[in-house]
Amino acid sequence: MTIKIWKFFDREELYECYQCARCTGSCPAMEVTAALGPRGTILKCLNLGHEAVVQDEKVWFCCTCNVCDDRCPQQIPISDLLVALRNSAARRGNVPGRLLLSLELLAKTGRTMIVHQLDEMRAHHGLAPLPPAPVDEVRAILKRAGLEEVLDF
Amino acid sequence: MKYALYLGCAIPIKYPGFEAATRLVCERLGIELVDDLPFSCCPPPTGLKMVHYDSWLALAARNLCLAEEAGLDLLTLCSGCVNTLKEANQALKHSDAKRRRVNKILEAHNRKFNGAIEVTHILDVLYQDSVVDKLIKLMAREIPLRVGCHYGCHYFRPPQMMYPNELSEAESYVPVRMDHLLSIIGVEPTEYSRKFLCCGSPLGANVDTEAGYAIVAQKLHYIRQRNIQALSVICPSCFEQFDMGQIALSRKQKDLSKIPTFYLTQLIGLALGFSPKELGLDVHRVKAKRLLESIDVA
Repeated sequence: MTIKIWKFFDREELYECYQCARCTGSCPAMEVTAALGPRGTILKCLNLGHEAVVQDEKVWFCCTCNVCDDRCPQQIPISDLLVALRNSAARRGNVPGRLLLSLELLAKTGRTMIVHQLDEMRAHHGLAPLPPAPVDEVRAILKRAGLEEVLDF
Repeated sequence: MKYALYLGCAIPIKYPGFEAATRLVCERLGIELVDDLPFSCCPPPTGLKMVHYDSWLALAARNLCLAEEAGLDLLTLCSGCVNTLKEANQALKHSDAKRRRVNKILEAHNRKFNGAIEVTHILDVLYQDSVVDKLIKLMAREIPLRVGCHYGCHYFRPPQMMYPNELSEAESYVPVRMDHLLSIIGVEPTEYSRKFLCCGSPLGANVDTEAGYAIVAQKLHYIRQRNIQALSVICPSCFEQFDMGQIALSRKQKDLSKIPTFYLTQLIGLALGFSPKELGLDVHRVKAKRLLESIDVA
């Protein structure tokens, strides 16, 4: 199932952007990858429509650090835009593989980290074993919330 | 002073030393931790939230409900956890539609989000006047090191969500609490360029490990310029970037000096007189032993 991103983000906000690029100038991901960057993302949404953006794998080249949102002189909620775009991308199957793997782990174990020789490691620091996470309840909640739209588990 | 302790995933599983240090410090400073609540993953603002917002909100709400049921505020030890749980708490308190949607999912498990508690982070708990007074009284030694603080983006951004009552005129928030707290234990908090920018962890974890390390390499460049001797962090993901990241980077560039990284409660713990081993410093990849010996801590 696909969703319209405008359900999560007010399209009018895009027109507030005057392309000053203060966001992109602050963006750590832009410096080390061929990311779209916040300014480019907004411009592409306006010029090409959001469909073009959500099909581009570069929409995931981001630290989610929110510095763009923090520094925007027009106070455009860029973080919300990026969440909406990626949620939409995920429903079209555009998600980085390793991110999907970590979510699969979450759905299977209730935690996003692999537990390996954990008891010994915790005992080394004088800590009791970690109780298991409530997997059944977590899975039921994720199913009812609709996670199966993007992930089989 | 009593909190529901929310450990999250990375600290109890990857860095239990931080948990040990936090428990020792809290006990010494009279902060009671209740930790038998069956929490799950927070889930992370860098992961599930990006992929499926509704699932992220529902699972975060469940964790909030557990603390509500215990009648306690939630204490987190990680910038990611505090971001998710604070933002979900705010979103659910302020939106009837979201609260209705989430409660409909949770009712099958006899849970209901009421918005009765607050979410906080260990740094903000330690920063309270009564705790600082106690720390000053119980301090066993000073830690005279030049330390660079790295707060971790999700601890304070977006500021409207994380610190809505403490915004500057530009509606922003510049964190200072870690610097202030460390200055109390004799640390010389040292500014550096790009202090408030990302460590690169989410980019590395989700997309490209090398790109994540390239970001931390830039930060380290500015940190070295200021002759900073050690780093202090309040998030396990940031820690991993600096600690493991320096090992990975030094494989390519052999002559780089390495800077030890501490989790905040490890530094406070040293000042309270606990040994490096008790605080879990023995398992860090970049060893702090020689640096600590130089200030007579062993």
